[in-house]
Amino acid sequence: MEGSSEPLLDAKSKVTSQLLDFQWKLGMAVSSDSCRSLKYPYVAVMLKVADESGQVKKKSFEMTIPQFQIFF
Amino acid sequence: MAGDLESSKALSGLLSGLAQDAFHGHPGITEELLRSQLYPEVPPEEFRPFLAKMRGILKSIASADMDFNQLEAFLTAQTKKQGGITSDQAAVISKFWKSHKTKIRESLMNQSRWDSGLRGLSWRVDGKSQSRHSAQIHTPVAIVELEIGKSGQVSKSPVRMYCSYPTFHIGKLGHGKESEFLCLEFDEVKVNQVLKKLSEVEECISTLMQRA
Repeated sequence: MEGSSEPLLDAKSKVTSQLLDFQWKLGMAVSSDSCRSLKYPYVAVMLKVADESGQVKKKSFEMTIPQFQIFF
Repeated sequence: MAGDLESSKALSGLLSGLAQDAFHGHPGITEELLRSQLYPEVPPEEFRPFLAKMRGILKSIASADMDFNQLEAFLTAQTKKQGGITSDQAAVISKFWKSHKTKIRESLMNQSRWDSGLRGLSWRVDGKSQSRHSAQIHTPVAIVELEIGKSGQVSKSPVRMYCSYPTFHIGKLGHGKESEFLCLEFDEVKVNQVLKKLSEVEECISTLMQRA
């Protein structure tokens, strides 16, 4: 219509799932073998989802605080 | 030639190359590449220990995430060591760390994250008008698409709003090879539940930041 080049939400996954549970954890990365002084907090999320067939799956991912704040 | 090894410009380039290799995961930065590009007059057997020394210093600084006081103390000690560095070299290293510290730290943080990250999030609100089995007139439904994949930078592109549809993309970044797209449907009740959880996370983050 307007000739806008902005794409609309074009769901890459055609199957929509239901969110059954949302668990979160705020962690602190202290040290690692490549960096002794990491000292950064992060948010870890665990989603429990059910697809259309009822199959339940768990998805987990991690974000730094700035990333969490960008998305949410 | 000692004179060549003391070149500040070459050392600056060397530190960049070392950082690309050690922290940013840039492939193909070999010892021979660095030598031929930056120190062509220096023979390989002389270049090798020099490179190892600089790499060691840079890794120590990055590993300890040194602040500027620690950095000065560390570099001063290196200048006093047998087979250490010159004060000119110390100045170059100091300048390099000050301007690259943030980026190197970000790469180190990414390296230590082994779980998937959230690479993108998009949402849309649909109005369900009719359904075959029930008269769900004008029930709003939120559709959220999450892109989950291995470590990647979140783009800080501004939020774009669409006038005709309440759809916007937040922080979308390039699609990775291994990204998984998760499409979730939420009714209003569910949206509120999730928002409540998210504000709990925010509260925890604030408390943590206040203590720091």
